[in-house]
Formats: sequence, structure tokens, C-alpha cells
Amino acid sequence: MPPPKFSFSLSKFPEGGLILVIIALGILLWAFGGSVQRPKLEKGPDGAPRRVMTTNAAGDQVPASIQVNKFLNAETLTQIAKDTSFFAIMAISMTLVIIILGIDLSVGSIYALSAVAGAMLMNHYGSNAGAGAAWQGVALTLLVGALCGLLNGAMIVGFNVHPFIITLGTMAIYRGIAFVLTKGQSIGDFPQEFRTFMRSGVGDLSLVPLIVMVIVCVIGSIFLSRMTLGRKIYAIGGNETASRYSGIRVRPIKLMVYVLSGLTAAISATLALGYYGAASSGDGQGYELNVIAAAVVGGASLAGGKGTALGALLGAIILQMISAGMVILGIPQEYSQIVTGAVVIAAVLLDQLNRWLGNRRLLAKTARVKKEVVAAAETTVQAKP
Amino acid sequence: MIKKLALVLTSLLGLAVATGFAAGKTYVFGVVAKSNNNPVFQAAKTGAEDEAKALSEKNGVTIRIDWRTPNEEDAQKQVEAIEQLTNAGASGIAVSCSDANKLTDAIDKAVNNGVPVVTFDSDAPKSKRLTCFGTDDLECGQQVMSELAKTMGGKGVVAILGGNQNAPNLQKRVQGVKDEAKKYPDVKVLDTYYHKETPQDAAAKVEQVQQANPQITGWAMIGGWPLFTDNALKWPAGTVKCVAVDALPAELGYLRDGHVEVLLAQQVYEWGTKSVDELYNYVANGTKPPNFVKADLIPVTKENVDEFAKNWDKWLGKTRNKSASR
Repeated sequence: MPPPKFSFSLSKFPEGGLILVIIALGILLWAFGGSVQRPKLEKGPDGAPRRVMTTNAAGDQVPASIQVNKFLNAETLTQIAKDTSFFAIMAISMTLVIIILGIDLSVGSIYALSAVAGAMLMNHYGSNAGAGAAWQGVALTLLVGALCGLLNGAMIVGFNVHPFIITLGTMAIYRGIAFVLTKGQSIGDFPQEFRTFMRSGVGDLSLVPLIVMVIVCVIGSIFLSRMTLGRKIYAIGGNETASRYSGIRVRPIKLMVYVLSGLTAAISATLALGYYGAASSGDGQGYELNVIAAAVVGGASLAGGKGTALGALLGAIILQMISAGMVILGIPQEYSQIVTGAVVIAAVLLDQLNRWLGNRRLLAKTARVKKEVVAAAETTVQAKP
Repeated sequence: MIKKLALVLTSLLGLAVATGFAAGKTYVFGVVAKSNNNPVFQAAKTGAEDEAKALSEKNGVTIRIDWRTPNEEDAQKQVEAIEQLTNAGASGIAVSCSDANKLTDAIDKAVNNGVPVVTFDSDAPKSKRLTCFGTDDLECGQQVMSELAKTMGGKGVVAILGGNQNAPNLQKRVQGVKDEAKKYPDVKVLDTYYHKETPQDAAAKVEQVQQANPQITGWAMIGGWPLFTDNALKWPAGTVKCVAVDALPAELGYLRDGHVEVLLAQQVYEWGTKSVDELYNYVANGTKPPNFVKADLIPVTKENVDEFAKNWDKWLGKTRNKSASR
């Protein structure tokens, strides 16, 4: 028996189109971004970074630098990944919400309120407090986020009101609570250990947000594709009535999805507390639109029943690459919204094309198998005496 | 034919080389203001671009302004912009901070990577920024209240229009208003009213508050946001006194018709010119500026409004556009 032929086609992956867009954007930025002189840094005797000095041809001491591609260098790639992480983590759970035909407009406000809650507790302990204080702050941030999500879910499921209305209201309520708590002040001065840990990585490159993003994406992917609960979410999104009649407990699952939405907003808020070192009631304004855009670009269907965690991550990466690309290519900011909109449409169209090609291959394979079965059946009938 | 083509190509090549030599060194200065929705920052943008052009011509260099201001006020997006500009090799960055706590680390990181940073309008004083050009916000608030108290005859009920409650510079101005109000025992400050920093939201807030509190006889506007719309102040001119910060063209009509008594003009065009000037002098010549350069407010009243208005053609780039179209 001959060995099976190995064939690889990006169109076989649901997210193949998005990967193509990311590769194309990367090539564009690498080819047209040009290069930049990056200063060489070293750790000084006080532990702070300082420029490496070298002697030039004239014998003068000048700062040393290396030439790198503006896009394809460790600092830029890490920065894109870090900026993506805040939205991607929320977009993964927004995908779950969209799959069940819901929406959560309050994620930006939950992000702000949970950040403010954790910030106030850590600020109370001060910058000299140890890891215990930091853990308490993180726990409070996550708890507040989960509670906000629980409240959303309880009202949506309990009152049977459209999630758009409930989360539109809670969007204002949660941010209002954050403002009342902080009186409009920015809260900082967190335990130094917490800040150091959240900004840790390799050299000047902060890797914690990237690592957390990958972990959340892996968990989200396994949950949706390999766990019964994940499959039930797709079933509810596909046909809620049929799911209910099949014995799926729709209401608790919907409640769980909104709790997860709140929890991931709180995870993003925790990363932001560590990286930015402060929180205020104005944080996260308008983030719900970016998060929804990332989920939809990633393949989540607003008609329900479709979407993946990996797709949400890739959608967030595309949006962030556009933002970074505008600066790398020197495109004036006046055109940023036009460019972003155009690339989003192109990404969605390319993704649709990829899915269409996948469906066509599936249909062709089904037709071929059907033909073989019919032919085999006819042969059997003819062979009988 | 071939000789002609060779001549044209050589000329073009020579022109390109000559242009390259004429351009000299290239500098890219990033500017990250608070938001594109606030017209004061458009004047700063024009100032930065005009100064870049003037310095380029004077010194035989090329200075390009890379404007990376978020559409809405968002300190996280400002941090993102600073990091992107640093990674893209900007020669220097000018920033007006929405949240000093969040921006301090990003500014320090840029400076550690050899990119000098200056601030304007709203500072991050604990950061490694080179200098700040802006108003002393506490004194600004005090001046608003002082002018308002003069027009109110030292008595009445005052409402403060506060803008974005999270902005540190606005918080100081509000404090300045309240501190100054204490000097007038017959002046009562009703409350501070915050709103999204768009003209429509600000105008709606003023209308809403005035209707609910008809006893208000004075408005201390620490920013002129509602005055960028028509008919924002619904009371008959002179019945309620108003003093506001900023004197952009859209606001001057309120001075002329008597709805606003005094506009305190910030040097918004100079935010851009000074920032670029300081950055260029530092990167090209190593000149270190003072830690803080105070920008005085210019009182504009009905008496001098027409004279003041003539400045705006230049500050908003209209004279620049007229020259280009000739």
C-alpha cells in the first residue's frame, strides 16, 4: 500500500485566511518599513539601563547602536504582542458571548472597575508591601470582574432582556461606580514586587502579557473544541430551542459565558495594572468596540454558532499590526481609520474566501464519496444472479 | 534620441543627489497630544509643523512631525504611541499627558532608549522628560475664578465646568478655582460638573445644569469645550457671567455677543512650536532646556477680540494653505 501523500493547505484551517493576512501584513511591514538605529544598552552599576559607548574613527566616545528592521526586531514584535494581549484576552471570551448570540458592551467598564478595585487595595498597602498585598489586589480584581459578569448574566437570563440593553446599562453603571470610588483620580503606587514581576521578561522586553494571552487562548481553544461544555455553547448558538429540547441547560451555560466575559476583562485589567502602574475610572473607554471587532474579524459570526479562540487572537493581532504598521510605515494618522476599516474588510473577505474554498472541498469530497457508494451498490446489484 | 534620454536621466539623477545633499540630516519628532477631538491640539499640531518647516529651512535639515494622537483621550493608547515611536526610531517625542502615572514609565523607557521627551500642557513631573511647556494649572484655575468674581461683583452662585475628571491638569485647575473662590465670602461654588470632552457633550451638560439650577449666576469653565458649538449658552447675554479657558476662533463669537466676559487664551500654537524647538536644540546641539517653561494666559475680552482673532489664520495653518494654493 503506498504511503499517504502529505498535503498541506492553509484553506483546510478555519483560521487559514487570517494567518495569510498576518503573513502578508508582516511581509509588507518588513519590506517597506525600512530600518532604524537601535541603541545598545547595558545594565549600569545601579541596575538601571544605560547606553553602551564606543570610540569612533575620530577617537570620540559615541553611543553604540545596531541597525535593525523597523518591524522585524524583538522590541517591535514584543510590543505588538503586549498591546494585542489586552484586547485578545477579552476577545476570546467575547467570541463565546457572540457564539451564543449575545453581546457584552460592558467589557470596557468592567476592565476599568476591576482595575480600580485592585488598584485601590494595592495602593492602600503601598509600594513597599510584599507579594501578599499584590496577590490580594489581583484576587480582588478578578473577583470584581467575575461578579460584574455574573450580574450581567443574571439579569440577561433572569429578566430575559436582550443582552444589548442590559450591558448598555451596566456599561454606564460600572464606570460610574469606578468614578465614585476614585473621585476621578488616577490610582498608582503599587507594591514594587508586583510591578517588577508583571514587567519581567528578557532584558527590556515584557513577556508576561504575551504568555498570559497564549495560555488563555490555549485554554479557550481546548474548552471550545474538546470539552462537552464548549460544544454545548456552539449548539446553543446554532439553535437555542433545539438545544433546550435536547436537554442542554441553556440558562446556566449563558450565565457562565457572561461570567467568563467579566473574568477575562479582569485578567486584562490585572496585566494593565502591572504594566502601566496605575488605574483610573476613564480606563478602557471604547474597548468594547475593539474587542468585538477582534472577535468578528477572527471569524465569530454575529448570527451565532461560529467562532474560535484562535480566531479571536488572530483578529486582535491583525488590528494591532495595523496600528503599529501606521507608525512603522509613516502613514499620517488622519488616514488611520480609513486604513483600519479597509484592512478589516479585506481580512474578513479573505477569511470568507478561505472558508468558501474549504466548504467547496468538503462538498466535492462528499459528492465523490457518494458517487463511489452508489457505484459500489450498483456493482453489487448487477453481480447478484 | 538615446543622447537626449541619457541627458534627461543624468539630470534627474543629479537632481536627486543634489536634493539628497540639500536635505542633510533627517529628524522625526513624534507628537502625542491628548485627543484629536479637542481643537486646541490641532493648533499645537500646526505650530509643530510650522516650526519643523522653519527649522528645516534655517538649518539645512529635514524635520518631519509624526502626529500620533489618539482620537479619544486614552492614556493607554498614548503609552502605545510612545512605544511605537521609540521602536520606529523617532528622534524625539512631545507629549501632553492624559495620565501622568501611566505615562511616566513609557517616557522613562523612551529616554533610556536615547529618545528625548518633552511635555506640554499636561506634565509627568516624576518622569525623565526634558522640559515641560505649559500653564501652571493651579494659577490658571485661580485666574479663571478671579476674573469671574470681578465680573460678578464678588457675589453669586458659581458652577465649575470640569471636562475629563481623570485629567491631572484639569483637576489642578478645578482646585485653583475653589481655592480662589474662598477669598470671596459671598460667592458660593455649587459643584463641579464633568463631561466627555467633546463640544456637544459639554454644551449639553451646561444646558442641563443651568436648567436644573437657575440660581447659578456664574460659570467657571476651566476649558472652553461648549463654546465650540453655536448657541451653547442659552441665557440672555449678561444675565449669567462666564469666564473660560482657551480662545479659539469658534469661541470668539461669544465674546462679541456678550455671553462670555473673558476668555483666557492658552498659548496652544506655542505648545507645538516650543516643543519642536526644544527637541531640535537638544538633539542637534545638545542644548538642555530649563525644567519648566511657564506659558502665561492671555486675557481676551470684547475690547481686544478682533485684534486677537487675526492670529488664528496663522495658528490653524490657513495662511500656509493660502500660500500653497497661489
